[in-house]
Amino acid sequence: MALVAFARSSIARLALLHGLMLAASMVAVLGGVYLGTSRIIANESDQLITLEAQSLVEDFREKDLDAFVTEIVDRAEDPWVRGGVYELRGPSGDFLAGNVVVLPELVIERGGWAEFDVAVTHGDANASRRIRAHVTALPSGFQLMIGHDVQDRHTFREVMLRSLAWAVLVTLLFGALGGLWLGRRISRTAQAISASAGRIAGGSLGERLPVSGSGDEIDALVMRFNDLLGRVEVLTTTMRAVLDSTAHDLRGHLNRIRGAAQDARHGATSEAQASAADAVLAEIDRLSGTLQGLLRIALAESGTAPLENVDLSAVTADLAEFYLPVAEPGQLRVEIEPDLRVRGHRQLLAQALSNLLDNALKYGHGTPITVTLRRHAGCARLAVSDAGPGIPAEHRELAAVRFGRLPGSSGLPGSGLGLSLVAAVARLHQAQLELGDAGPGLSVVLEIPLERTVAP
Amino acid sequence: MKILVVEDDRRASEYLAKGLRELGHTVEQAFDGESGLKAAQTGVNDVLVLDRMLPKLDGLEIVRQLRAAGSTVPILILSALDEVDERVQGLRAGGDDYLAKPYHLEELAARLDALARRQAESGPAGKLRIADLELDSRARKVVRAGRKIDLTTREFQLLEFLMRHTGQVVTRTMILEGVWDYHFDPKTNVIDVHISRLRQAIDKGFESQLLHTVRGAGYTLSEDP
Repeated sequence: MALVAFARSSIARLALLHGLMLAASMVAVLGGVYLGTSRIIANESDQLITLEAQSLVEDFREKDLDAFVTEIVDRAEDPWVRGGVYELRGPSGDFLAGNVVVLPELVIERGGWAEFDVAVTHGDANASRRIRAHVTALPSGFQLMIGHDVQDRHTFREVMLRSLAWAVLVTLLFGALGGLWLGRRISRTAQAISASAGRIAGGSLGERLPVSGSGDEIDALVMRFNDLLGRVEVLTTTMRAVLDSTAHDLRGHLNRIRGAAQDARHGATSEAQASAADAVLAEIDRLSGTLQGLLRIALAESGTAPLENVDLSAVTADLAEFYLPVAEPGQLRVEIEPDLRVRGHRQLLAQALSNLLDNALKYGHGTPITVTLRRHAGCARLAVSDAGPGIPAEHRELAAVRFGRLPGSSGLPGSGLGLSLVAAVARLHQAQLELGDAGPGLSVVLEIPLERTVAP
Repeated sequence: MKILVVEDDRRASEYLAKGLRELGHTVEQAFDGESGLKAAQTGVNDVLVLDRMLPKLDGLEIVRQLRAAGSTVPILILSALDEVDERVQGLRAGGDDYLAKPYHLEELAARLDALARRQAESGPAGKLRIADLELDSRARKVVRAGRKIDLTTREFQLLEFLMRHTGQVVTRTMILEGVWDYHFDPKTNVIDVHISRLRQAIDKGFESQLLHTVRGAGYTLSEDP
């Protein structure tokens, strides 16, 4: 698992790329040297063979056959002194002279060139030596092969190729190690930024990234990031302060109005006065309900709500049990996997779940409601669905917007804050919120990351 | 009952004092933190209503000082800063209850009543009794007129909560907080349905009804109709 994750990481890619680039440049340099040198050596020996062949063809024309054979025998006498091999064959293929017997089986390439190995019994020389040879067709069907010992060139190529292979392998290794080191360094910074961003999203706005002091680009990036965090913190605290004081002020006013209305209700001397006071009280209560809803959304969105280890299974079970008597018998189906704990805000989670159940009861029009909570890919997957008319796909985004009431819902009570609170609570918990089609009906799915448990 | 109200919003304080006096309580008022603390230290009060944010001395600071001095007077913290986390802070500082503005006078009165009597009635836990209804919280058993009554766990907790507040009005939010330990705001009448189920279980088929609805406020468990 860890290996797969590593192979996918950008460090692994960087390390591999770095290694490959180094290896490729190594191949280019060494290959160039090799090709150049081997061509020079090859040309030299090929030229010598060609010259010798030309002179021997002339000899063949000018001398009689016996003299020519003798000439070949002379030249072939001590092959490893002059480094040459010869073989002369007659028109019927009979061996006339030479120091090797290869012609019958020799594979001749275009232009009469061939290469083969010859076993050597001479002194302590190599067990076999590579020969490059040219086969010349003489007049009257005679064949003459002239070869040169190119074992040294051959060995040179082998050594060259082997060192090339080693060089590539070693540079690949060093390159990968270098890339790995480089990548680790970048990745460590990236991880620190990512972890820090996660904690900041979770509410610790005072957090800053450590600056290494080296003054490199990464430091510059970190400092930029810290500046950004500072601004976010200032904005958030300012917003929070404005919100708090506004809320405080509004609540104070509402409280005085409510006191006055209640006083009026108490002192009402006629039916008309009493019902007027009741109407005012009802409006004040609705207004303060909306205000409270907005403030809870603001609290959830500010990310300053303190989170703790919450047994989501217990909260879900509590809420399902709480709403059970309001549902028709058999209408509410509940499936809860026990002991799913998340890092969360118990009261806000309960409020969100309460809103979902309220909605399902209100808009599901008595259809079956399903509440499920189970483990799913490192998350607690909480789903509440009904089989009512649901929300058409194009309206689903609107449903989670503050005061976003859907067309056709005007007859039903509601502030339009229910799902936006759920959305805000989802954000607070870094959870995925999805409104989907329960076919028929609405399904709301919340995926909240599970609290990482301490290894046993 | 003698109540000290420390609230800097004079008009709100007047309405509150008037409402509480009409309910038969004696009310003393203070309008800033310092005089509030002095009044709390010198007077003998059954219960304190403290605003959370006061000039000169913060509401939470008054609670801390009173508790540090060994005072056990029940304190309800009143605040225009609702929010569940503020509540936790208030209770942690030594407050006994917390109510957000704007509040219903009935809600506040019911809570003050519960706070004042909690002191008087913190007798030995175990058996609770009202008329011929008996609840044994250790054995988790409920008997009325010698007949055993079967309740779900939650119905049992609900009845126990009501019986601990016998003769007092308990509001819906008090029930949700006391029985379920949640502070969310159910938009439907869920509490009423739970109560009517409990009523079915304990009152149905008996001559006298014990569980009564108090209009505009909540419920009460009492022998008097």
